[in-house]
Amino acid sequence: MILAAVVVSLIFLYPTFQDYQYRKKLVSLSGPDSISYLDQHQDDILSAKLKRIKLGLDLQGGMRVVLEVDVIKLLEDIAKNKDDNFGAIIKEVRDQATNNDESVIPIFGRKFQERGIRMSRYYGNIRDVDAAILSQLDGETAKAVDRAIEIVRNRVDQYRVSEPNIQKQGTRRIIVELPGVKDESEVRSLLQGTAKLEFRLLRDAAISYKVMQSIDDYLSGKVAADTSSSAKTAKKEEKPKDALEELLGNKKPSNADTTNEAKFTREHPFFANVTPDQRNTGEGFVLDNNRDRVIRLLERPDVQRLLPADFEFQWSAKTTPTPDGKKFYHLYAVKRTPELTGGVVVEARATVDQGTNRPIVNMEMNSEGAREWARITGANVNKRIAISLDNAVFSAPTVINKIVGGHSQITGMESPNEARLLEIVLKAGALPAPVSIIEQRSVGPSLGEDSIRSGLNSTVLAFLLTILFMAVYYHSAGAIADVALLFNVLFILGVMAGFSATLTLPGIAGVVLTLGIAVDANVLINERVREELAGGKTLRAAIDAGYARAFTAIVDSNVTTFLTGVVLYQFGTGPIQGFALTLMIGIAASMFTAIIITRVIFNIMMSKGLNPNFG
Amino acid sequence: MRLFKKTNINFMAARGKMYILSSAIIAVGLISLFIKGVNYGIDFRGGTELVMSFSERADYGQLRAALGKAGFGDSEIKSFGNDQTILIRTTQQGEGMIVANKIKDAIQTSLPNQSFQVLREDKIGPKIGKELRRDAVYAVVASLFVILGYVAIRYKFLYGMGAVLALYHDVLLTLGIISLLDGVVPYLNLEITQEIIAAFLTIIGLSVNDTVVVFDRIRENSKIYRSLSLMDIMNKSLNETLSRTIITSGTILIVLLVLLFAGGEVTRGFAFALTIGIITGTYSSIYIASAIVLDTTLRVKKPE
Repeated sequence: MILAAVVVSLIFLYPTFQDYQYRKKLVSLSGPDSISYLDQHQDDILSAKLKRIKLGLDLQGGMRVVLEVDVIKLLEDIAKNKDDNFGAIIKEVRDQATNNDESVIPIFGRKFQERGIRMSRYYGNIRDVDAAILSQLDGETAKAVDRAIEIVRNRVDQYRVSEPNIQKQGTRRIIVELPGVKDESEVRSLLQGTAKLEFRLLRDAAISYKVMQSIDDYLSGKVAADTSSSAKTAKKEEKPKDALEELLGNKKPSNADTTNEAKFTREHPFFANVTPDQRNTGEGFVLDNNRDRVIRLLERPDVQRLLPADFEFQWSAKTTPTPDGKKFYHLYAVKRTPELTGGVVVEARATVDQGTNRPIVNMEMNSEGAREWARITGANVNKRIAISLDNAVFSAPTVINKIVGGHSQITGMESPNEARLLEIVLKAGALPAPVSIIEQRSVGPSLGEDSIRSGLNSTVLAFLLTILFMAVYYHSAGAIADVALLFNVLFILGVMAGFSATLTLPGIAGVVLTLGIAVDANVLINERVREELAGGKTLRAAIDAGYARAFTAIVDSNVTTFLTGVVLYQFGTGPIQGFALTLMIGIAASMFTAIIITRVIFNIMMSKGLNPNFG
Repeated sequence: MRLFKKTNINFMAARGKMYILSSAIIAVGLISLFIKGVNYGIDFRGGTELVMSFSERADYGQLRAALGKAGFGDSEIKSFGNDQTILIRTTQQGEGMIVANKIKDAIQTSLPNQSFQVLREDKIGPKIGKELRRDAVYAVVASLFVILGYVAIRYKFLYGMGAVLALYHDVLLTLGIISLLDGVVPYLNLEITQEIIAAFLTIIGLSVNDTVVVFDRIRENSKIYRSLSLMDIMNKSLNETLSRTIITSGTILIVLLVLLFAGGEVTRGFAFALTIGIITGTYSSIYIASAIVLDTTLRVKKPE
């Protein structure tokens, strides 16, 4: 069992170690070497990164933002026949909601009751009772929060922050943690701006393919693109060679490489990274690993010049997996000007088609939108329209026939989840869920470095002092306790890596503290054994009795400390939770190491005829 | 090696004096709490806080003047670990990080020869602060109840009460000392932050740890020595566990002292609160918890 625990801990810790090694290696290599190393080991580095013990924002620097969805604004937006009475209620609710943390909906309901106004005047059907309306509004606000989270997630994904953490807190708050991000104004606009939902026509597959072909030709040097202008503005960064460098980096095959693959990459650098859809849809497929490089390439001014007027590339919001476990993004060629923007959508609902039993999304537009939509769909039957939120395409359905009356049905979703996501996206345009930033913290990486260093130093120092003291005070029994302590640290880190827990500064404090508690268990046992020895028992009997009698005290004291940990975890936020988590893991680990591992070592020593010395 | 020979101290006899001693310290602490109060950190108060590292030793007067000109005369300026690192805090919040940016601009223009680096900037809305304060109180109260429940089930209700009263004693005493010493000792930042709340909860955990070990021994001894009075049993148990109590608290104390002096500014307040807490916790598990159990037991028994 001990062996198993050790092995499991080591397995969990291996990625952390690996990640450390990779980073050390990357620091030691310079410039192009490090890029080629990165490319060669990309997958390994990524997987190590995912499984390692993560460092909290306080240790690595970055931004933490807490957003609150303005539920009251939403309630105001969806009400009909608004009058002065309604305005007064909204104002009162707003005042009260800022003064305490009660959920908004019950306050809202109470205000209506106080004034003796039926809610059906403003919401739902005239015959609906207040309770029904309230529960409906409750659902509506919950959805708004989900929508806000999805919008934020979509944007953070586009922003390409490594390892962002986005989670819901309570009923209407969103915590966003962005490690390594420093530019606070950029992040603010990223998180707070209104979501932009657009319907854009896809360009014809033939045109899309032609554009991709021209980029490919440009990169491989077959044509000099737009010679006149490039001659005039022959800046360094605008040569095909540099563009090629941007795309391929150090993956560029050497001329000596004669494999088919290398040959293809040399001749068709763009198509080696962007695979056109064989079904002639005009889409390109890009592996998730290559996406960043393709984005950089497409952003280059010289490449932008290759695009015809009213032509733009947009990426799919999510990846699609292939059977062999790879993931790729879709690259869509769309018109630059949107046909319609999201304001016209009044309702969207994900359901299941009764006939085919497949997930679908029903979408309603307002009268103005419906008129436009009829014209657009009528003129573009059998063409595709991309639905994009903040420039990321969530779906690109084909127009089957002219849609009159504004009611559309979108089919072709793989799963109910996909349909639900599309519902959220469509509604994001219709009912923006306004969010405000109520907490924002940013930690510079240098403070992070300092705190890591002093935190680690003090932990190591405290650890060494404790080990030294135990060995001096309890002789070989103390040394055995020290061995158990080492295992304890190993287990704590192993479990943390296993849960992919985040290590924060209070977390380190928690580890330090559990070391103290772990020592306590052995002090209890050793003191007890000493007592029993002083009472005249033989060594073996004294050890047996010592363990048996100390056991209840250890269990009781650890359980109470563990329970405080649970309470802390339950009520605490952020840093306190981190502390509580390591405390709980530490106590569980120390019960195991201090009681079982030391006992096993004593038993092995005794069976070999070595008598442990309790000092 | 052995620090403690077999001791035979009559702990319980001195309990009256100890009650007085504890009450006196707590009273001083409470007076300080009422007059001086505690310094809530930004977590609980809301506002904007900046930690900046300057290229040269920063002059407080100049900084204050610069901030005053920009309309932040009410801000607090204090050192953060060393002379070059300064913490600036104001209760003003503004939209987004406007306040922080204004402060940075003001310092940049008024102190052109100084270059600085922003190590940390926080903005906490007033609502969050209030909620955190409430959650912290919930956490402390809830853990006290959990402990009362557990000890009452494992031992007797009176023991649970003794343990919890001892914990109240520890928390009050530590809080009083924090209030008393805040701002008195240089480089020691004793604001009530989330970390300090974590420290309080740890104090509760460790102190109850100590108390339970003593109670465990009392329970064991009362089964063995049925003829002895409760007071004698308690004294015997306390003496028997004394060595363990001191050694354990001592090792934890070593760890905390290291954290206090070498752990850096961020964990210093935390380590300090814990150090005080460990000392009072050890003392309270000897004197307060057992003594309360003894006194209440005696009082309950008398009328019979």
